[in-house]
Amino acid sequence: MEFIISHLAKSFGSKEVLRDIDFSFEGGKIYGLLGRNGAGKTTLFNCLNRDLNADSGSFWLAESGQKREIRAEEIGYVLSTPAVPEFLTGREFLKFFLDINEASISEIRPIDEYFDYMGIEPEDRDKLLKDYSHGMKNKMQMLVNIIAEPEILLLDEPLTSLDVVVAEEMKQLLRSLKKEHVIIFSTHIMDLALDLCDEIVLLSHGVLERVDKTDLDQQSFKDKIIAALREENREQA
Amino acid sequence: MNRLNTLKISFLLKNTYRVNSILFSLKQIPLVRKALPDRLYQSAGLKILANVLSGLWEAATVFLGKFLYFLLMIAIPGSLYETLPYEGAFLHILFFLTVIGSYANTYMFNPTKDKYYAMILMRMDAKRYTLVNYAYAIVKTAVGFLVFGLYFGLRGGLSVRTCLLIPCMVIGMKLTVSAVSLLIYEKTGIAVNENKLGKLGFSLMFVFLAAAYGLPALGWLLPDPVFTAVGIFSVLGGIPAVIRLCRFDRYREMYQPMLAKTMSQMDEIKHISADMSARMISEDREIFSRKKGFEYLNELFVRRHQKILWRSVRRLSVVCLVLFAVLTGIFLLYPEDNAQMNQMLLEFLPYFVFIMYSVNRGTGFTKALFMNCDRSLLTYSFYKQPRFVLKLFQIRLREIVKINLLPAAVIGTGLNVILYVTGGTDPLNYGILFVSIVSMSIFFSVHYLTIYYLLQPYNAGTEMKSGTYGIILGLTYLVCFAMLYLRMPIMMFGLMCIAFCLLYSAAACILIYRFAPKTFRLRM
Repeated sequence: MEFIISHLAKSFGSKEVLRDIDFSFEGGKIYGLLGRNGAGKTTLFNCLNRDLNADSGSFWLAESGQKREIRAEEIGYVLSTPAVPEFLTGREFLKFFLDINEASISEIRPIDEYFDYMGIEPEDRDKLLKDYSHGMKNKMQMLVNIIAEPEILLLDEPLTSLDVVVAEEMKQLLRSLKKEHVIIFSTHIMDLALDLCDEIVLLSHGVLERVDKTDLDQQSFKDKIIAALREENREQA
Repeated sequence: MNRLNTLKISFLLKNTYRVNSILFSLKQIPLVRKALPDRLYQSAGLKILANVLSGLWEAATVFLGKFLYFLLMIAIPGSLYETLPYEGAFLHILFFLTVIGSYANTYMFNPTKDKYYAMILMRMDAKRYTLVNYAYAIVKTAVGFLVFGLYFGLRGGLSVRTCLLIPCMVIGMKLTVSAVSLLIYEKTGIAVNENKLGKLGFSLMFVFLAAAYGLPALGWLLPDPVFTAVGIFSVLGGIPAVIRLCRFDRYREMYQPMLAKTMSQMDEIKHISADMSARMISEDREIFSRKKGFEYLNELFVRRHQKILWRSVRRLSVVCLVLFAVLTGIFLLYPEDNAQMNQMLLEFLPYFVFIMYSVNRGTGFTKALFMNCDRSLLTYSFYKQPRFVLKLFQIRLREIVKINLLPAAVIGTGLNVILYVTGGTDPLNYGILFVSIVSMSIFFSVHYLTIYYLLQPYNAGTEMKSGTYGIILGLTYLVCFAMLYLRMPIMMFGLMCIAFCLLYSAAACILIYRFAPKTFRLRM
């Protein structure tokens, strides 16, 4: 499976944030999306998730040579600040989600199994989500995003505000998920990107470009990334 | 020269963000927004316009504010005490309000944003900044009180001498209280904040207000010599106060915690509104639902928000019921004015547009929907699928119409009963009256939910991003308010009302089906 973005562009007024995004992501890999502040990472995600209408360009899935449109529900988008419906309990949220996605989820398991899988304790499962901690809300958000097995998972700085234990659990989870998905992971933290991701992609000047790691050790790879990001600054100046 | 410079800089600073706020608000207005350039804040022409507006605002604070103050707080109430001499009541009220103003409206102890920017962010000399701006504020106050003291005073029959004493007394008292507050700070380290008066401040305010308006009602006025004496003492107290203010050296340290707190509170406002929404959610563990999918979501939502939905309309309906019962009783017991009442009711239907507007729970419902439900769920793509958006819209429409129908039925029936006991009317009128009240209720329900779905005005941070939404809400209010002045026979207005509601609802549904799947999402 491949996720292909073709000539995607988005401007705000006269400011071209995404100039020409032209890239193809392969299934089974975690992509680390790096870019400087204001480079347009969130704008890119918002366009892919269709929260924003792109000015031009398109994106689609290619499976065994067949191109097809991506349906909204095939994209999972995990935000850095978790958003969950506060008036439901964890269990109710999951039940609601499973109810309305019955048709598209291949095999629905008992709700408690999902909680077990996510490491959410039995005593928390029937609490209102408004009383969940940040980490628990994050787990719920992630859970809902992965149950439906979307082909593409967009993660916007998902680990930065989690405590070390939850962050480690999430990393494990992402690694275990990557086989069937395209995972694109945006972050500011280089070490996290290098630790978790199979490919590093830079967003600079409104275009995406892959950083080649061939024949480089970790430190030289880092230097190369930094140099590439600095380069952008110089050109802009 | 230096002082003048400080005044100039602080004025420019205040003006800059005032101008930028004006430009920002312009940008919120639909259509105008499109016409404005991207580099709005650099545009010289717009800046000039905004500067003019800002200058007008400054002048308005001097003159318009004082004019309204004199008119509404003093002159009009003063003229209501028919048995008392007007000039006596005028001075009496003015005196007690001035006492309140001396500690509740000081300028010096009002921690505002411009002070934070100037003294903390821009590191201007705190003492000089404060004194210069304080002097400016005092001069503004003096001019305002001089002009309108003379204007209203002379018209009310006060002597020129007394009128001239008014600004002196006001300024004298303000200066004295500020100086005393500084003294308290020096002795105790406690800085007064006029926006947080505490129990003592508010109790005193209540006492002085009662004295201002209550004593004259009891026939007691402050004797003229007392006013003169206090006036002279205030002026005398003002002189050492000025020296005190100029000698005080700890403005920076006094303002630091006060301003820091104010700024952090502005950040907290957002959290407070989120907290308030979270508090609307019922903690009742017995609440559950046996339904499925969106019906399940909706039922849980409505049950967990009964505080603002069912419970509040039930309460309202009971209140209306009691009110109508009492009125019916009165009309049965004292039938003298019945014919008049009957006639009035037959013409007063437009009035009830405003009543139905006021009792509708639509805005509360959509606000809670967003804050506690859609804000989070709209970040999930499954929730945004067109068929789901429409499905949920149907369920919610049904629900909000149902909720608002209860008080509407009570009001419609109550009006019919009153119409009947006061002499009755053409049988057709009863039916039309009831149906039109109900259709008004349905109209408001449809209206609020429709504009919410079509404009979804909030972003993920719960800031309102749509000027159009605000404008439509404002227009709705204005139209309903205007209806208060319309008189029309039940038959005609009722039929118009019903027809309008039907047309509006049909149009709304068509618009929703066409556009909501695209418009119902988080603002960026």
